[in-house]
Amino acid sequence: MKRIFSHLRPLKWRIGAAAILMTLSSLGQLLLPALMSAVVDEGIYARDFSAILKLCGLMFLVALCSLGVTIWGRKLSAQVVSGFSSGLRESIFKKVMGMSHESFGKMDTGSLVTRSTQDVGTVSWVANMLSSGIISIPAMFLGGVILSFQVDAVLASVVLCAVPFVGLVVFLIGRRVAPLWELSDAYIDKQNEMIRQRLRGIRVIRAFRREPDEHEKIADATRVMADNIINANVSMQSINPIASFCLNAAAVVILYLSARRMESGVSAATGGDILALIQYVAYIMNGVLAGSFAIVMVPHAAVACRRILQVLDLPEDRGEEGRSSSLKGGITLDHVSFCFEGSSEPALRDVTMDIQPGQRVAVIGSTGSGKSTLIQLLLGFRPCTQGQILFDGIPAGELSGSSLRSQISSVLQKTAIYAGTIGENVSMGCPGTTEADIWNALDIAQMREFVESLPDGLNHKIELSGSNLSGGQRQRLAIARALNKEAAIYIFDDSFSALDFLTESKLRARLSQELKGRTQIVVTQRVTTAMYCDCIFVLDNGCLVDQGRHEDLLERCQVYREIYTSQTGGDTL
Amino acid sequence: MRRYTGKDQKLTGRQKVSLLVQLGREARPIWKWLLLSCFLCVIIIVCAVLGPKLTGNVTNIICAWWNDHATGAPVGPLVQTIFPTLLVLLGVYAIGAVFRWLNMYLMNNVVSHHFTCTIRIRMSDKIRKLPISYLDETPVGQILERMTDDVSATGNTIHRLLDILMQGFLQILFIAVALLLEDWRLGLIVLITTPLSILLSLKISGYSGKYFRAMFRQNAQMYSVVEENYTNFATTKAYNLEENALEKHRAVNREVQKAQENSVFISGLVQPIITLVNALTYIAVNLVGGYLAIKGLVPVGTVVTVVLFARQFSAPLEQIADGFGQMQHTIAAANRVFQFLAEPEEDPRQGAVHPETVKGEVEFRHVAFSYREDQPLIRDLSFRAQPGQTVAIVGPTGAGKTTIVNLLMGFYDIAKGEIYIDGRPMSQMNRDEARELFSMVLQETWLFRGTVADNVAYGRPGATREEIMRACDESYCDHFIRTLPQGYDTVIGDETTTLSGGQKQLLTIARAVLADRRLLILDEATSNVDTRTEILIQKAMDKLMKHRTCFVIAHRLSTIVGADRILVIRDGDIVEQGTHKELLKQNGFYAALYRSQYDKG
Repeated sequence: MKRIFSHLRPLKWRIGAAAILMTLSSLGQLLLPALMSAVVDEGIYARDFSAILKLCGLMFLVALCSLGVTIWGRKLSAQVVSGFSSGLRESIFKKVMGMSHESFGKMDTGSLVTRSTQDVGTVSWVANMLSSGIISIPAMFLGGVILSFQVDAVLASVVLCAVPFVGLVVFLIGRRVAPLWELSDAYIDKQNEMIRQRLRGIRVIRAFRREPDEHEKIADATRVMADNIINANVSMQSINPIASFCLNAAAVVILYLSARRMESGVSAATGGDILALIQYVAYIMNGVLAGSFAIVMVPHAAVACRRILQVLDLPEDRGEEGRSSSLKGGITLDHVSFCFEGSSEPALRDVTMDIQPGQRVAVIGSTGSGKSTLIQLLLGFRPCTQGQILFDGIPAGELSGSSLRSQISSVLQKTAIYAGTIGENVSMGCPGTTEADIWNALDIAQMREFVESLPDGLNHKIELSGSNLSGGQRQRLAIARALNKEAAIYIFDDSFSALDFLTESKLRARLSQELKGRTQIVVTQRVTTAMYCDCIFVLDNGCLVDQGRHEDLLERCQVYREIYTSQTGGDTL
Repeated sequence: MRRYTGKDQKLTGRQKVSLLVQLGREARPIWKWLLLSCFLCVIIIVCAVLGPKLTGNVTNIICAWWNDHATGAPVGPLVQTIFPTLLVLLGVYAIGAVFRWLNMYLMNNVVSHHFTCTIRIRMSDKIRKLPISYLDETPVGQILERMTDDVSATGNTIHRLLDILMQGFLQILFIAVALLLEDWRLGLIVLITTPLSILLSLKISGYSGKYFRAMFRQNAQMYSVVEENYTNFATTKAYNLEENALEKHRAVNREVQKAQENSVFISGLVQPIITLVNALTYIAVNLVGGYLAIKGLVPVGTVVTVVLFARQFSAPLEQIADGFGQMQHTIAAANRVFQFLAEPEEDPRQGAVHPETVKGEVEFRHVAFSYREDQPLIRDLSFRAQPGQTVAIVGPTGAGKTTIVNLLMGFYDIAKGEIYIDGRPMSQMNRDEARELFSMVLQETWLFRGTVADNVAYGRPGATREEIMRACDESYCDHFIRTLPQGYDTVIGDETTTLSGGQKQLLTIARAVLADRRLLILDEATSNVDTRTEILIQKAMDKLMKHRTCFVIAHRLSTIVGADRILVIRDGDIVEQGTHKELLKQNGFYAALYRSQYDKG
């Protein structure tokens, strides 16, 4: 919790000032009934109009000051709430961007996004309700009680008793409602998932004529969810009638007691005092009700806080240390093994490879053979469990991650496209890129023709995650980005899978020309992509089973032959 | 949970009116309940008006008694005089509380239920009737938002509206009448200042609406930045772009902060301003009331009652102001819900189909089609597939190979020409029934949350366990299904990690085997599948294709070469068609495509 509230620290003066201002404003509101009772006693009953005038003038002054103070206080509390959530958002985002792959992989990306946006929203929303509803309650309550005690101690104690009673009602109902909210939140997730699933499978569902059943499933979940929400709402909204009845009853008791005490001459309270007392009860009632709504929301915020803390409390990753060195592109894997945390089976087992500077190599294997893990190790995203990787003979551990990555250009398996223009996507990470450079990269990536056909060319807007591009276009754009970056090593992790054979062969030809002298690592499942490389590494189940040229492997490596046969359907040309 | 979107457009006055009319129409099934609620509201308000009135009476008596007592005049018994009134007062408060609770219960169980649950179910039903084209063009997230957040907001709008109409306006009306009856001069003061505070708060909430829309926009922006950088996490790191990302985030964050500060501040102004206007009313009543009381024109008790009423006035006022403010946010959502419900539906087409008698001859005659009117795709396509023949659809990725599938399955309507099945035009066949002629195995496997057996039997709900197992055996699933923890009863879903991509694909083949239709649509693409499973998938597909008329989105050379007809697609258009030999002889696009695979790079 400390990590969350620490974002309030820079705002502490404002919080203090806002609290003082809000307290003043509620005291001002409490003064009004006191003045009112004075008007009745000293003015109306005393038939003294000048006193009425004086007191009314005072009331006006109090009301005006109270307004000014309230506005100022609200301004400050708006600054506090927005500053607090902005700080929280930034620190979560920073934390996530600084995470290692290991930490990042522990949480679902969608859930991380929710935690960084919506959950912060929920916390700040409740913070807002609390700041406007709660801050003034103690002052209201205390002020009200003190003022009423001045009038008559016995009558005041009625007020004092009624409020905790109402508090208890609010507390009990709140405790009942919290689990209901959690339940309905869970159902909302479930219903969303069902709708999402249905929309994704809409073709299959219609092909098999199962729409009525899918509809019925969702309708059932909707009904259950509605029942939960209605239950929660009914409980929560019960607070209002119950609490106001209690406080109204307290007012009746006050009237009764004051009449009795007046009649027996015990009390010195005046008629105006009684009036003021009843008004205090009304004020306190409003305050308690406003506060109760805020308090009921607290469980919501608590859930969100817990989810945010799960991110913030992840152990800090060790900083990027190590020297930088310019690389020529030689890579050596020396008995490298890697095991994911918590997994008993290593993803890579005792892999030894030697890649010469300027060599073009392929890594082939089926899903789960450890290809992508290998790339993550090369990029320094994860440390080897055993063995080591050497770049030009320098152990990777001695190089800083960022300097290593500045000399490796890569297209990763999951094609990354950023919202922005085509030009921005290509020049990303390379300040000083000229338009000619971009066109050149697009040309090699077989994307030039497409971009030229667009009315706004390089300035063509790309939507979030490249949703207005086809899979092949996204892949070629990512390739262009990699080519635009000057590096010693180029890695293409399954980056040609969405391209047709014709485009791929053109691209391959251009790459071998343009990247001459640079190390090129192509990770693939397609034999036709791998077969022309200088050396092919065959991975199976995390082990390097063989390496060599296409023809040799075809002859002696069974895994390679299987892959080849399955993909070409046994046809040999 | 609230999701943020930038689409929070402002509605024109006319749109708002038509929306209200529509909401009224929606409320027709529950009009009896609304009437009951009206009745309850009247009782509630009578109690709410009686409360201060009686309190005023009692204080009046107490004050007069105290006054007499203070001046030494003879006084009667006090407690005895006021006791009956106090009892009535307590009863009035109790009745008021009970009826308020009842009304709240009614509102939640009938009105909220009707406007959220019922509408949500109708939207789900609407999905059933919408054409695939609409669902293709509309992002899933958007439809989800219509069904969740927007529906909740619609319920909210209704709730606010009823609050305002029944509680707010009715209450104000009652209190106004009571005030004027009490003393017309004092009543008038309250009645003049009150509309002033309504106007003020309306103005403010309209103003704050602008800032709230800005906040929604900025939040949407924030969401995009976060989502983008998290999904592209590895690439952002690989290009050392962390600082850029932080900078971008900071910039958007600043905007969000500003928008939030403004909207929170402005909306927070409504209440203090109403409080001020109330205080002014209070002062005015005191001044005038004090003057009149001194002159002996009005009893002191009346002044007190009016003051208490003036306080009562502020509650419904704040309710109205708050309600209007909130409605600004929700009204656009309600509009979107009704727009969704009014979307044009798919024409179900008439004409019974008898699958048992269908032989499986398919003919395209001069078919023209395009997704967008300005971009014609298929201009004039004709070919015929005899029963049991295989048609291979070949072309680069993204060239539109699925278009043919869309047309055959009636997912999209053709613009010109006709598709015939056994010589019968598809436009004269019931769409649902015509779909029952086909089995489909698509590249993107779709499994729903349910047992393995249920997933396989999806195309034939009544299938027995033996039939399911036979189908699975035929499509090489039986073996791996048995290794699952609960075998055929294991619950799986799309996110299941216990099944590999290839195994999921095999299950969808088993589904098609069990459905056993005359016509088959098959996507051969098997990416992310390990070699051994891929061999099984091919064997299973080959078996499935026997004796059926097949349309195959072909990737394997053997399928293409062996096909009875090859359709070559480029940029959505069919550029060549014929057999493998014919096409090689033409030496066109197909020939180039075919050779490129084995070109030296």
